[in-house]
Formats: sequence, structure tokens, C-alpha cells
Amino acid sequence: MTTTSTAANRPVGKDICSPLIEFHGVSKTFSNGFRALTPFNLSIDRGEIVSLVGPSGCGKTTVIRLAAGLTAATDGEIIRRTQELAYVFQDPTLLAWRNVRNNVALVAKLKGVGKAERNAAALAAIETVGLSRFERALPRQLSGGMKMRVSLARAITSAPELMIMDEPFAALDEFTRDNMQNELLRLWRVNHFGAMFITHSIREAVYLGHRIVVMASHPGRVARVIESPNPPTLDDAPRDLKALDATVNTISQLLAGEPA
Amino acid sequence: MTISKDVAVMAATAAEAEVTTELPIPVRSRSTRHLWRKFVLPPLVALVIALIAWQAAITLLSLPPYLMPAPIDVYDALISRFADMLPAALITMQEAYLGFALAAISGFVAALIMARWNVAERGLYPYLVLLQTIPIVAVAPLFVVWFGPGQATNVLVAAMIAVFPVAANTLQGLKSTDRNLVQLYRMAGAPPRVQLFSLRVPSALPQILTGLRIASGSSVIGAIVGEFVAGVGGGKGGLGYVITLDANQLRTPELFVAVLLASVVSLILFGAVALVESQLLKRWHESALPTEE
Repeated sequence: MTTTSTAANRPVGKDICSPLIEFHGVSKTFSNGFRALTPFNLSIDRGEIVSLVGPSGCGKTTVIRLAAGLTAATDGEIIRRTQELAYVFQDPTLLAWRNVRNNVALVAKLKGVGKAERNAAALAAIETVGLSRFERALPRQLSGGMKMRVSLARAITSAPELMIMDEPFAALDEFTRDNMQNELLRLWRVNHFGAMFITHSIREAVYLGHRIVVMASHPGRVARVIESPNPPTLDDAPRDLKALDATVNTISQLLAGEPA
Repeated sequence: MTISKDVAVMAATAAEAEVTTELPIPVRSRSTRHLWRKFVLPPLVALVIALIAWQAAITLLSLPPYLMPAPIDVYDALISRFADMLPAALITMQEAYLGFALAAISGFVAALIMARWNVAERGLYPYLVLLQTIPIVAVAPLFVVWFGPGQATNVLVAAMIAVFPVAANTLQGLKSTDRNLVQLYRMAGAPPRVQLFSLRVPSALPQILTGLRIASGSSVIGAIVGEFVAGVGGGKGGLGYVITLDANQLRTPELFVAVLLASVVSLILFGAVALVESQLLKRWHESALPTEE
């Protein structure tokens, strides 16, 4: 029953209009009988950021692991129309013995990209995240926010069409976290990738997402999909924070009955 | 006060050297005199006091040297026996270091195989543990039976006792690689071999070096145990042989010298491993400071 199909690397013809990734009635039951995800439907367009928010055990991580092909669905169909995906973890997940440039170029290297090409891409990405001066620094010499920037730089080096982000800013302090959210939107305006963004923070989900998928637990399911009243735009127009606050409140009430 | 002055001096020198950076510059005192006073002098003073107390106690209690020699007796023994103790120490050194090298290589390779294939780990690990539980003194005579009394046997005994810490620590290190990094490699399509050598082995370096450090001490013990059993029959004996002979004849000062030399043999190897360790791991956090172009 399970099919995961991937179409061409680059959008051609009608593919530009079709969604980047589609979930059709996808469910996941673990071998111990735990229902991590009950039939789940979602499609994400090119250049669209979809936030997934919900309490622990609501299947958020299962959804993105399915999207990345790290685990197979028990039932349903996932259609992914890109091979160019990047995964950003909660931790920076860097190699301690490699400097910033080699960390950023790592995934490209593993994918077999030539040295000159991957170094050029890495340098460009490092510049984009504002770490040019630290190209030769080792991870231990960087702050938490800087390490996360390195992680983001590594992700954009491969020019991803789909960014899969698993609570990337959860471990950062509030100030750095706000900075990184704006950093991510800035990168999005430059590279215009589609993104699945998982978070525990309702505020973060609303601030970053064009759509917010609110999930509930036991069993993992979609409680509601909410369109952002004032989504991020490519021209960086000022945001209507009041409207966003109202959405935050709506979601808070929706999740009020859920165990944290 | 002197420390803060040193720091100020360091900062000034760093500025002069045009190393401008936003990151803290590791402060390393260049004054060897300062280091000598801080790290060498205290244990040296303690040693001198202990030696004086020891000498005084022996003189006051007038104990015979065969029971408890005074430092002077040990010194005399060292001078008079050095000519034949040194070759013995060199033999032990050779056996222990060869055994250590053998254990380091075979332990590392065994751990690689066990980390790469789960079935290999399930199949081999119990026997590795078993190898560790066998009392080395009990097996040494068997080795003599199989390989004859000689250096080869002692090398094998040393290797046998040293292989477990290397293999167990290396395996532990190889298996405790960050899950997310493993996932990153897998998603990038890196084959297991690349994952092993580009990710797992460097990640495991601290544990591998810990294993080697433990093995450095064990291998000397192994060589001496081997000599207790095997070296007695042979003409050329190591320190273990010397210890057996001198113990039989109650030449206690000579025993002290043998013990001293054995620990020197051990210390040299330990120091070499520690040096390699500091050189390898220092790179992770000290070197490659970003400089402005």
C-alpha cells in the first residue's frame, strides 16, 4: 500500500505548479502497536513554509521523518517532487574536528560534489548567514546561535527545494531564537525554499508559517490547519503582529485541553 | 598578581602579532620558570621530604636492608647493578611496547569490525570479555608451552592483557556517535565505510585514546608477568626475571631498583600516548583561530 515517489530533481513543466510534497492518508503505527500518526493529509507548495505545532507525542517528528524518507509509512501515499531536501536538526549537529567551512561543505562532499564547486557554495552560504570571518573557526569556538547559523548554512549549500526543520531553535535562548527566526525568513526570501518547520512554540509557528498545522496527541493527528492571517512575504513587508497574536490565542485555546 | 601580569603581557604580545579576533585568545604562559615553580617544584619537594623521612626512619629503627632498604641502599644498588639492570629493562621495554602495538592494532581492527557489522559484535564480544576474565598468570604458562620460553611469549602475554581496553573503549566510542550526525550521513547517501572512517572513528578518538592509555600500563604488567613465568628458563631475562631472582635471594634494594625501572618503562609509554592524545585533541578546540585577512 505504501508508495513514496520522487519526481524529477528540478521543476519542469507542470511540476512547477504541483505541490512539492503531498501526504495522502499517511499513517504510521510502530511495531509495538503505538499509533504515532493516524491518516494524515497535507500538501506543501514550492516556496511555502508550513509550521507543525503540537504537544509531545502528536506525531510531528514522525511526519518529517516520513517526509525525509527516514522511515516508511504504514499506510497511505507520500509524493515528493524533489530530491533536493535539507534536514536541520534541533542541535547544530556539526563535526567538532572540522572548521566552519568544512562543516558547511560536508553534505555536498558526501553527495559527491567536486571540491571547487562545494567550497564555492559553502563560502557563499557562510557569507549569507554572516559568518565570513569565522570560516576557519572550529565549532567549539562559536556560540550556540553561531553554530545554528553554520547548520543553516550547511542546509542551504545544497540549494534545497524543501527544508525539513526539527525544532531547530528550541535549544536557543529567547533573544538568539528571535534573531534566528528572522534569519530563516531572510534566507527564505533569498532562496525561496519550501519548508516543514516543527516547533513547540505556538508563537514561532505562527510567525514563520504560511500555514500552521496544529496537531494533537494520542493518537497523533491533525487538529486543524490554520492559514496565517499575515504570512511572511518575499518583499519583507511589515507584519501585522496583532493579527498574528490573535492566531496564537486561537491555537493556544485549541491546544488547551492537550497534555503538554 | 603575577598571573594577571602575565595575562596582560600575553594580551599585549597578541595585539602586536596582529592576531585580532573576537574570540578569546588561549592564554599560554611562555615563562618556563613559572611552570617549573608551579608544577615541578611541589612534587619534587614532597619527594625530597619523603626520602629524608624514609632514610631517617630506617636509621632510627635500624632495620636490616633485606627487610626494608634505605634510599641510600637503593641508590647504591642502582649504581652497582645498573649495567645489568639496564639491558633487562630494555628487554622488558621491547616486549611491552611490541605487545602494546599488537594490542592497539588488533583491538582497533576488532572494534572496527564489530562496529561495522552487528553480527560480528554479537559473535565476538562475549569472547573478548572472556579473554579479559581469564587470569593472565594462569594462562602465561600455557603460552610458554605453546610458544616456548622467550620474548615472543612475553609479547603475546602483554598483548593479551592490553587488547581488551583498546577494543572495548574503541567499540564504545564507535557506537556512541551522535545519532543525528549518523542520520545526516545516511541522508546524504554516504556508504557505511565512509560513515565509519569520516564520522565514527574521529568521533571515537577520545575513547580510543583512553583505551590506549589504559593499555599502556597493562602491557608492561603483561610483559613482566610473562617474564615471571617464561623468562626464568631463558638466558636473557627482562625485569620480571631480575625481580624473581632478587626476590629469591632477598636482595631487596635491587628489587626496589627493578620496580623503579619497570615504572619508568611504563611511564615512557604512558607519556607517549598522552602526548599523542593532547596533540590530536587539541586541534578540536585550540587551533585554527579565525584571523582577519
